[in-house]
Amino acid sequence: MLSPERRPSVAERRPSLYMYQQPNSITVPHLAGIEDPLPETTPEKVDVLIVGTGIVESMLAAALAWQGSSVLHIDSNDYYGDTSATMTVDQVKRWVERIHQGLVPCYSDAKLYVSNSIHPNGKYISKDFGIDLSPKILFSKSDLLSILVKSRVYQYLEFQSLSTFHTYENDSFEKLTNTKQEIFTDQNLPLMTKRNIMKFIKFVLEWEAHPEIWEPYADRTLMELLVEKFKLEKPQVFELMFSIGLCYNIDAKIPGSLQRIRRYLSSYDVYGPFPVMYSKYGGAGEISQGFCRSAAVAGATYKLNERLLSFDPNTKVATFQDGSKVSVEEKVVISPTQASEYSKNVPAQKYEVHRLTCVVEKDCTEWFAEGESAAVIVFPPQSLKSGNKQVVQAFILGSNSECCPRGTSIWYLSSTEQGPRAEMDLDAALEAMEMSILRESDQDIAADDDLVQMAADGHAAVINSVKLGKSFKEYISREKVQFLFKLYYTQYTATPAFDVVNPTFFDTGAQISGKLIPGASDNGCLYTAMPSSEISYDEVVSAAKVLYEKIVGSDDDFFDIDFEDEDEVANNEQSKLSYENAIEDDDDDVGGADRDIEMQDETSEFVGEMEL
Amino acid sequence: MLQFKLVLLGDSSVGKSSIVHRFVKDTFDELRESTIGAAFLSQTIKVESEDQQEVVIKFEIWDTAGQERYKSLAPMYYRNANAALVVYDVTQEDSLNKAKAWVEELKNKVGDEDLVIFLVGNKVDLCEGSDNEDKRAVAATLAKQYAEDQGLMFDEVSAKTGHGVKEVFQAIGQRLYDTKKEELATRQRGNGNDGQVDINVPRPSTNDTTGCCS
Repeated sequence: MLSPERRPSVAERRPSLYMYQQPNSITVPHLAGIEDPLPETTPEKVDVLIVGTGIVESMLAAALAWQGSSVLHIDSNDYYGDTSATMTVDQVKRWVERIHQGLVPCYSDAKLYVSNSIHPNGKYISKDFGIDLSPKILFSKSDLLSILVKSRVYQYLEFQSLSTFHTYENDSFEKLTNTKQEIFTDQNLPLMTKRNIMKFIKFVLEWEAHPEIWEPYADRTLMELLVEKFKLEKPQVFELMFSIGLCYNIDAKIPGSLQRIRRYLSSYDVYGPFPVMYSKYGGAGEISQGFCRSAAVAGATYKLNERLLSFDPNTKVATFQDGSKVSVEEKVVISPTQASEYSKNVPAQKYEVHRLTCVVEKDCTEWFAEGESAAVIVFPPQSLKSGNKQVVQAFILGSNSECCPRGTSIWYLSSTEQGPRAEMDLDAALEAMEMSILRESDQDIAADDDLVQMAADGHAAVINSVKLGKSFKEYISREKVQFLFKLYYTQYTATPAFDVVNPTFFDTGAQISGKLIPGASDNGCLYTAMPSSEISYDEVVSAAKVLYEKIVGSDDDFFDIDFEDEDEVANNEQSKLSYENAIEDDDDDVGGADRDIEMQDETSEFVGEMEL
Repeated sequence: MLQFKLVLLGDSSVGKSSIVHRFVKDTFDELRESTIGAAFLSQTIKVESEDQQEVVIKFEIWDTAGQERYKSLAPMYYRNANAALVVYDVTQEDSLNKAKAWVEELKNKVGDEDLVIFLVGNKVDLCEGSDNEDKRAVAATLAKQYAEDQGLMFDEVSAKTGHGVKEVFQAIGQRLYDTKKEELATRQRGNGNDGQVDINVPRPSTNDTTGCCS
């Protein structure tokens, strides 16, 4: 079933590539059509059939194609991306319609509002928007980022920085104090608190080396560790847990949560003073397309609008809706949303992720750092009037993301709360965001003489209090946020919130019982995992690797690609080696900018007293 | 250096890739050495500005990689394309109809009003000489008339002999330079790419965070 030996790579299989390998000669990679005319029909025989073009399936297709497997990659939709798709408004309309008809497994309760301004002759048109079904942020230091570099798929993409993480507390947004410099210059933080934060940051960057600190808390929560061991107070604890760590509730466990806090800190300043990025024109949908193109360049065959009807594990023949058949030498891999009719092996998708996606007619630049066009807003437990137990996470994209037109922004809200409570939490968060952006963006107040005159004493006080927000709880704006688009939906996943991808998520009924299920159309097939609630791409590479290993026998050569132009590869390798992080290596980074050195002086003053 | 994205379109086996192969592989003195990655092919040419200065133009050439066969080209393929080479086979009558469909597709998918479309009849070598004239299935005048109606550039080439290939890219380069120079000048004077990150350059120097595509 599995091939234990490494199969020859694409380069090894195609002698024409070797021909061009001499130095100084021009090298041309395989481009379909250069060498042989392509067959006009679906190939008769492939090594692997992949159904669904979500980010995990697409990365898997590219990894397998470059490894040397022949891949047929299909999708029953007429667009790329499946569960990771980036859609136009019209595509979302059709998708919602199909959910209502029960034609999209793993999604339910879709509700859609689209304003009349989005219309072929309206102010906006459908394709002005790129709506992500699974919105994601990319940490600067992450496994996906290294795969993007290694596979060169990054060359198809454009990335933009995101540095602003807001924590919603006491009815207002607090911008995250996320750098040492900010911690030390923050006038509001007492010296002792600053010292305790630094002590924790120092620890968390090397938490594995200090089991004596965290192991006593292994069965307890991150909160207890932060409060008892590091003497941190609620505002800092919440920032660390929910904005930096992006944890979902106050029960976040150790060491998983330590890993998540470190992920943020070690990503900071890898490419600049920000921890995360996002891809322009769409998130996971765009990256999926990039991996599919990469797979195609390596020889994979692509067919959209094609549905798998059944796979026979005895004859190894897959049959499609258009009547064509293909013999699959090794494995069939299927996205749960594209399971064939009469399939009986799809893993149970036990957990709900509730999403609310809005397009508003406001640019929301008030929330973004200068020069940026995105932000993350986190609503910690109990911060909303719905009394939320789980965090609500919001990812905001402005028009520079090229996902929405100028003057608008997209708000992606999500919650891991189960059941009907989730929608109440999402609505409460939406309302809080609406109020906040109205207060913060209401320039009329500063400009409007009437209002200033109405204030009996001192205009400045009025204006300032608007900006501060807090004291303006009673403030009712004359303006309203115009919603152009509003979409609620529930997505189901086998991955629990806060968990890592576990190989057992991919085990099908037949594999668990060891028997084929009579009458099932999907015996012997593998299923991929649905996206989890995770806002970063962290699970994607692990999920693709687990499947790769099940097919190839080992993940040793996952994206072990020999590109023809070694020079460029060498450059990439070099860049990878220098992925280090300012916070982590400040101590030996004397050559940094002046600002860094200053920070270092201040830091060492405190670090010296630490007992770690 | 100015950089432009050029996409290839046309029915399978009309010789799209061979044309690019010929263009990229056939290096001449005045052409810079090309850099080739797995992502796309690139090649530079030189065009002349109105004051007789040489301007280097770099083409980032995207082949379909076979994804056109089942109408499975991704939006990414068309995005920000500045020029398109729509290829048909002069010995296959139907291939011109397919090319016309691709032209429609391009006009729908590419937002750029100034998109330069070059219609190319390939394989003229097959119908050269009096013995082979009957192999021609598409009259040059017919294709030319269509191109003029649609505002496309047009020529016939042979990827096999190399006839006309270089000239096609040269003409596209010149057209792009002429139509885009003002826009490019404004863009370069602007504040650069907002928040753009070049992931090939970790830890950028503090005063330059512009991306790779400047």
